[in-house]
Amino acid sequence: MDYVYDKERMSALLYQIVAQQAGDKAELWLRQKAEVWQQSGALQQFNLTFSAIPRFIGKNQIIIDSTQEAALKAIVPGFSVQGWPADRVARAWWLLQLPVADKTAYVKQLETLFDAAEMNELAALYGALPLLAFPEEWTLRTAEGIRSNIGTVQEAIMLNNPYPALYLSEAAWNQLVMKAIFTDKQIGRIIGLDERANAALAAVLTDYAHERWAAGRTVNPMLWRLVGPFVNETSFSDIKRVWNSENTIEREAAALACAQTTYAPAIELLRERPALKAEIDADVLNWNLLSEKLN
Amino acid sequence: MCCSHELTEKDLAPITANPIFLEKIKGMRFFDPHVHMTSRTTDDYQAMADAGVVAIIEPAFWLGQPRTGVDTFRDYFNSLIGWERFRSSQFGIKHYCTIGLNSKEANNERLAEQVMEILPLFIYKEGVVGVGEIGFDDQTPAEDKYYRAQLELAKEAMLPVQIHTPHRDKKKGTQRSMDIAIEHGLDPRMIIVDHNNEETVKEVLDRGFWAAFTIYPFTKMGNERMVEIVKQYGSERIMINSAADWGISDPLAVPKTAALMLERGISIKDIELVCYQNAIDAFAQSGQINVSEFDTVKEIDQNLKYNGSSVLRGGQQPRVDKNATIIR
Repeated sequence: MDYVYDKERMSALLYQIVAQQAGDKAELWLRQKAEVWQQSGALQQFNLTFSAIPRFIGKNQIIIDSTQEAALKAIVPGFSVQGWPADRVARAWWLLQLPVADKTAYVKQLETLFDAAEMNELAALYGALPLLAFPEEWTLRTAEGIRSNIGTVQEAIMLNNPYPALYLSEAAWNQLVMKAIFTDKQIGRIIGLDERANAALAAVLTDYAHERWAAGRTVNPMLWRLVGPFVNETSFSDIKRVWNSENTIEREAAALACAQTTYAPAIELLRERPALKAEIDADVLNWNLLSEKLN
Repeated sequence: MCCSHELTEKDLAPITANPIFLEKIKGMRFFDPHVHMTSRTTDDYQAMADAGVVAIIEPAFWLGQPRTGVDTFRDYFNSLIGWERFRSSQFGIKHYCTIGLNSKEANNERLAEQVMEILPLFIYKEGVVGVGEIGFDDQTPAEDKYYRAQLELAKEAMLPVQIHTPHRDKKKGTQRSMDIAIEHGLDPRMIIVDHNNEETVKEVLDRGFWAAFTIYPFTKMGNERMVEIVKQYGSERIMINSAADWGISDPLAVPKTAALMLERGISIKDIELVCYQNAIDAFAQSGQINVSEFDTVKEIDQNLKYNGSSVLRGGQQPRVDKNATIIR
């Protein structure tokens, strides 16, 4: 399967967004480049345009309205370009202009772009993962990107990107979440965070919390969101430690973790603070709100 | 300090005040158009930011050990437009680079051919402000060949050229570099001739090229000599850089020289030209320098990371007190 979504509609919509926000001159340049590319099919032309996009499109932040946002998500669930720099949106659109008839050639061309990409190009390529054809082909590349030390590149993969949750193996997924926490990302913006929570990840994260505590460092309270559903005898002592914290947000995180499990002692613990439990039941305390308080 | 000097308690006490030169140039902005940050530590980035360096150019150069395959060139070029650029942004310093095959390694012709093939993949990238540093080392026929080929490449891409002039037989090498550039139809205004000294500067300026000076201990310019050169030749088309690399060199050479110039009576306007503006004017001919980005790089992580959220987390590097005994 090449594209797993309606590529033509996505392409049209992205083009419309770029045209609207980057101005007439930029739109004209992009249109001309597309015409030249369609006629010549010369890969060097394709690569040069991909590199030159920021010079002509600029980097203004793209703000889309709720209709456009909903339209994007209707085509590719979870995908949005809200807040992207204009050049990144234009690059995502440009990638959709590559022919997919020959899978080997398509994959090779994408790999060439990755191999010679500068920092912003890397972020554009990884941000466009949910739009690429042959989605199963990019899992190793994604895992490689997670190893990057460049913050913008990590975030293009980790945050607001629906691709990893759909296609990464459990080990690669766990590495993504672990690294996001380790590098202090807003993990509430990882798509599929709760759906792909798993016992192995919970175990890694509690070990990580122990290391942090041993070093006298703080632990991101959001971490307990991923431990909550898998609380067991061992990790329950950690939850209790957080439950007794002097920090309000940490106590709330412990309460939320307890509300995620059927582990009896945790349910029992939550009853000790009926006010917190009531807030959770009424949904005035949840992980999203906690995440906002943190940032 | 050396053997003849008796260490006292005072010498061993941590430095708590800013060095005097930093006080003098407080509030000034500097552009170092030649510095090999790949060979430097993050501590240097921090010190440069503190001293007012807002933007730098990192020319592609010889890593000190010959490369044996084209892939290591590819990875090096990639690091100049990727990792190194990110590392710099963490300290709020805008990072540009020039891409080229250095003169020393032009002598390995088998490899040089392969490098020439991949150069077009890189010279059109965002933030690549020129072809460099290229030119002569030994002044061999192979160096001549690849210098010419890269001049043609720069002409086609309409990019400035950053010329490395040789350590040995410098005067002749510099003349020859300029002659060849003219022969290939390049405009001297698009060419920055680097590592000048008292012997080469006059001709470089007279022929309309940009004259860059490298403030580098022992082998290149000292900054006292540099002050005299600015006194004699003025500030037009003259710029200074540190060319700091893996040798004994100083990434603060530009701000330190600015302080010395100030102390020795050179006007603020001239200092600004030599330590900031001229380099921008020369390399902005690439169309790749936007001065407003010197400010936005200070928030760039925020913008790119959090899509406009006003909160900075995990972005720029936290400050570390270098004088503290405790490391946390």
